[in-house]
Amino acid sequence: MTKTGATPCDVSLIVNGEPRTVRAYPMERLLDVLRQQLGLTGTKEGCGEGECGACSVIMDGALVDSCLVPVLQAQGSNVVTIEGLGKDVRACALQETFLECGGAQCGICTPGMTLAAVHLLNEKPEPTMDDIRDGLAGNLCRCTGYVQIFEAVAAAARRGVAR
Amino acid sequence: MRSDPAEYDLVAPANLQAAVSLLASEPGRWLPIAGGTDLMVQFAAGTLRARKLISIARLPELRRTEVFAEEIEIGAGCTYTDVRKHDIVDSEFPMLARAASWTGGIANQNRGTLGGNIVNASPAGDSLPALLAYDADLILVSVRGERRVPYASFHTGYKKTKLAADELIRAVRLPRRFGGYFSHARKVGTRNAQAVSKVCIAALARMEDGTVQDARIAFGSIAPMPVRLAETERLLNRKRLDPSLVLLASKTAAAEVQPIDDIRSTARYRAAVAGNLVAEFLERLGETQRAPSEVLARWNGLPADEAENEILACCGSRVWARGMAARRPFLDEAAVLAASDETWRNLGESDWMEAFRSHPRIGESRAAQILSARSAAWSAQEQSNAAAADDAIKIALAEANRKYVRQFGRIFIVCAAGKTGSEILQILRRRLQNDDGAELREAAEQQRQITQIRLRKWLQG
Repeated sequence: MTKTGATPCDVSLIVNGEPRTVRAYPMERLLDVLRQQLGLTGTKEGCGEGECGACSVIMDGALVDSCLVPVLQAQGSNVVTIEGLGKDVRACALQETFLECGGAQCGICTPGMTLAAVHLLNEKPEPTMDDIRDGLAGNLCRCTGYVQIFEAVAAAARRGVAR
Repeated sequence: MRSDPAEYDLVAPANLQAAVSLLASEPGRWLPIAGGTDLMVQFAAGTLRARKLISIARLPELRRTEVFAEEIEIGAGCTYTDVRKHDIVDSEFPMLARAASWTGGIANQNRGTLGGNIVNASPAGDSLPALLAYDADLILVSVRGERRVPYASFHTGYKKTKLAADELIRAVRLPRRFGGYFSHARKVGTRNAQAVSKVCIAALARMEDGTVQDARIAFGSIAPMPVRLAETERLLNRKRLDPSLVLLASKTAAAEVQPIDDIRSTARYRAAVAGNLVAEFLERLGETQRAPSEVLARWNGLPADEAENEILACCGSRVWARGMAARRPFLDEAAVLAASDETWRNLGESDWMEAFRSHPRIGESRAAQILSARSAAWSAQEQSNAAAADDAIKIALAEANRKYVRQFGRIFIVCAAGKTGSEILQILRRRLQNDDGAELREAAEQQRQITQIRLRKWLQG
């Protein structure tokens, strides 16, 4: 058992494939540690209460809202942020189709949308429209009206199938 | 205002024993935190009163599920995703699986836990009406040992429970005795995703000789805690299910609930919706009683491969046909039609394509993939109006069809029944303007309609 008190503790985790150790208060949000200590500002803060998905990251294979994760709970975990998707085949296809379909406008929701879409396509490489709606239901976009985003994900899935 | 993390203590014990020891060391001082989908929201808003928290998110003892002959045990630390993906929950406790699927978005489902939903004790908790209807028990653990508490007696008031200051919920137990029951769960909120419910129902009953037996009707968001409607249930039990009983039960339910006005809805609206949800439940329960058609009764009894081959004439996707055969027995036509839509929607693109290939191109008589004489005969009937079109239209159709194939790489699918050649030509020309994604969805919707028509023809012999 690790007793920590309200003093900073060392938290070791793997971020985008690299082992990192940060010193933080145990209740600090994973979101803040990623942005402020590790400089990974691709992860955005929207609502700060798990409603909007702007801060989505993939932790141990599961999509999570990093604003709801106390950093101590990320001890020993494997975290992938938008910066870690550079060479991911699905993320590259999504980047192309988001551009083609007009799936990104102001861009605040885009990193979270991309992670949610990658997570969805990892689980269901050939999603139906209902699967796409379900998979992205936790990510809010105030610009596009969603249709372009859903189409971009569907198009990326088709490209994945073709490959 | 946001809380200062420097003011909060958080520890992560390695096992359940260490966690309950810590809880017992200063009863009431330590607050367990699992996925944080409720507590981290309070933390963000600066309203989290507890200053010392114990992380129970990674305790292996809380994450297990076990299947016994008479009941299943779901660890309190199982996430909504765990619950949603559990085979036995999906087949025997479908209302719980559905509740898990409509809680927040995927990220919340990956973190939020069943135990958290219970101890948070919100009257709007999504999984709670299902737990009440299924007669769940809770296993509570502390350094003093374990005790088993019926979930129905766990909530004692608004956000109040029987959980002692040194206790954790270790697991939820569900009795496996509802296999023969009809179930109906529905959440009414402002929108489908990410909404807190205004009214939420989870209801079970079985039928015996046309009478309702063991009705179990649970609601969320209409009282200070999730409740069952005892009076409405009493009224229904052992009564013949007819329209007058449905009406009476609906009125009784609307009067029995005790909702309030709040930011999400009004008491009046909630009571009316509660009555309607009970009526909807009973109407669907009644539909299960209609005698199946002769065709359906015979098909229900076929070996799986024969059943699959027979229904394949209605829709040429093997995965669809296999899925339908696996979902037998069906009680009536409505159940077959509903299952077909659901199965179709959940297919992958390659399965859709396979179904498309089983149709002849409009204006031709041979499909790319001939499945059965019956399928070919139905195609001829469906396209009979188009076949009667004059030569100019036939030529234009053939040309537009070729263009479609070049553009989309597959044949043009339209529900041709009742449509003339020129109507189809108009539709075809419009759809040539679609992009890939929109066109695929439109074709899939057309195939869905074709399948529905064929299923009805088939079942009516």
